[in-house]
Amino acid sequence: MSEPDTEDWQENARMIVDSARAVVPADGTLSRVRKARFHGSGFDREVMRQAADLGWILMRVEEDAGGLGLGMRETCALMEVLGGGLVPGPILSSLMAAALLQDALPEAALTGVAVIVTAWQDRIGAQDWCGGASGGRLQGRKYNVPGAADADFFAVVTGDGVAVVPRGAEGLTVTSEETLDGGRTGLLTFDGVEAELLPCERVEQVLQDARLAHSAYLLGLSERALTITLDYLRVRKQFDKPIGSFQSLQHRATEMKIRLELARAAISATARRFDTGADERTRSRDAARCKLRAGKLAMLVAREAVQMHGAMGITDEADIGLFVRKAMSEANLFGGPRQQRASLAALLDQEDAA
Amino acid sequence: MISLPDYNAMNDADFRHTVRSFVEENYPDIPRHALSRLHWEEVKPWYLILSKHGWICPTWPREHGGMGLTAGKHLILIEEFERYGCARVNDIGPVMLGPLFLKYGTGAQKAFFLPKILSGEHIWAQGYSEPGAGSDLAAVRCEAVLDGGEWVINGQKTWTTLGMDANWIFILVRTDKTVRKQAGISFLLVPMDAPGVTIRNIENLELEAEFCEVFFDDVRVPADHILGEINQGWTAAKALLGHERVFIGAPRLSASAMSRLKRIALRAGVWDDPVFRDRYVALHCDVLDLTDLFEIYVDKLRGGEDIGADVAMLKIFQSELYQRISELMMEVAEEDSGLRHPPEGDRQLHAAATYLSARPTTIFGGSTEIMRNVLAKAVLNLPS
Repeated sequence: MSEPDTEDWQENARMIVDSARAVVPADGTLSRVRKARFHGSGFDREVMRQAADLGWILMRVEEDAGGLGLGMRETCALMEVLGGGLVPGPILSSLMAAALLQDALPEAALTGVAVIVTAWQDRIGAQDWCGGASGGRLQGRKYNVPGAADADFFAVVTGDGVAVVPRGAEGLTVTSEETLDGGRTGLLTFDGVEAELLPCERVEQVLQDARLAHSAYLLGLSERALTITLDYLRVRKQFDKPIGSFQSLQHRATEMKIRLELARAAISATARRFDTGADERTRSRDAARCKLRAGKLAMLVAREAVQMHGAMGITDEADIGLFVRKAMSEANLFGGPRQQRASLAALLDQEDAA
Repeated sequence: MISLPDYNAMNDADFRHTVRSFVEENYPDIPRHALSRLHWEEVKPWYLILSKHGWICPTWPREHGGMGLTAGKHLILIEEFERYGCARVNDIGPVMLGPLFLKYGTGAQKAFFLPKILSGEHIWAQGYSEPGAGSDLAAVRCEAVLDGGEWVINGQKTWTTLGMDANWIFILVRTDKTVRKQAGISFLLVPMDAPGVTIRNIENLELEAEFCEVFFDDVRVPADHILGEINQGWTAAKALLGHERVFIGAPRLSASAMSRLKRIALRAGVWDDPVFRDRYVALHCDVLDLTDLFEIYVDKLRGGEDIGADVAMLKIFQSELYQRISELMMEVAEEDSGLRHPPEGDRQLHAAATYLSARPTTIFGGSTEIMRNVLAKAVLNLPS
């Protein structure tokens, strides 16, 4: 990409981050998040409608397919803000569906009237997505479908193509379970569901993008949780001193900060590489290491935040708990640390061969 | 004076190529990729070659005999030198003191000292730490008093890197005991052959004498052997530490340790062991992530931005990562970890050598603990 594009992406990212203020209040209040927990579908349809209105769903749809054609730098900037606000709802999953379907995205999903989410994962604990189709029909299961409890459409990813399936389709059973953060995760079971399987060459690429974008979400979550914790360290007094003056806590706080800046550096460099053309090996390696870094970061900040809040940290009343529950719910999505290390280990031999 | 082309006018790729060719054509028959510092007698040929070509002081302005490189070009030079494994010369004069002379020195000092650094006639050592002033550097007690137009110096410096190779030393001394400790420090210039200077080598954990103690016993130097104003030495001393921390945080030490770790693992037959791999991959990612963070600071240097206290993050993570790599090496070396000499006579395969060479990195240039104190206060804004 040429130099003017560099400025373009920064301007785009700034506008998108500004637009996110409609969903993530600048004052950091989490009352909307709290309200949406543990009832109904586990997400707020109003947020999804706003996401469509603000153009987020179309970010990764190319311009000649009617989308915005924005890059991963803009996407990560948005995800970071959403993470900081613990925005519930399957925004990333919708964005993925649009990226996969391009101009085949249903009109209703484009306008925000309907919610579409992506069903790609064949089993827990692996990043496989090639299952789910047999003899031109959908057959089998798709796990970890966010927003499944109330989504109107599913973009179902299979080795034979991607299908758009309405939730009422014959032969489709949707079940869902509560997650720790108060949302729901879905399991789709297909029993010979008739669907048009659209050829899709970009599944692996969209998954790598999603892995990176989700890392940015965890980065935003971690940054906000660290900020809240640092604020607490400055005001909470014991032994007539702010506890943040104690060296043991200071040193642990600096460790979180270092890990956070490493995550930020890795994610922003990776997003830049994705936008400016990276080869396949670099893409899979860097998406994996961002996810590894961000997943570990979120869990580190979560446990340290609880400890540093003392007894307040183990109440549901304290906002920090919302971050902890979200980190626990999300850290392993798109592959947790073990999976990322395993796929990176497999890449080592490829690097040797190259 | 040597007439050099305007390297800053070259594009980066051409300059990189120029440096690479220079190194390949001119590097003398001395060790490459050394794990510990070489002494002056070994590294002297390389210093003199750099000097002859006008390359010994890359950052000095051209009118003072330097290359006048911008931060970005300087970085390329460093990268290419490291890529080839060039030995580090006794660079206290070119890197540390030269810029201070340019900033604080008198006309006479610049005229006398700068050419002698360029030629290699003066090899400088840095006298900062004392037995009672390590991390708390401003606590220096070595003192100097004016007596009949001369400074009379008494006290001790320690951990003086390659002090045994130097013929001059610059020292922080106490010149006023009645004020705040930072406000009573001056910066003196002392020839090592002055009567009353004695040195004693210190053998480090690697059983090498890389640093020494320097004792000053009624040492007399002329009154004009002071850099900057009396009692203003602390400002100059601190100025040295800024940019240096970016380079201490460079990922190269860890990256090269990873390639040695791989060789040790291959030799031990555990390269394909999944338990080993899981840990290797985690370290590999740490190096890659550190590289991305390092690039952010390099971009700042390139853009002429100031480097803030947050650069301590690089130094902390780099040095601890280097140590973690060396710890895995020691595990993988199994029972051979305890052997004094390298397997197959190859130091690259010697886990213990890396393990020991990784120890000082969390101590010098501001210990990890002090760096964390600085970060907590200056960056995280935590209370005292």
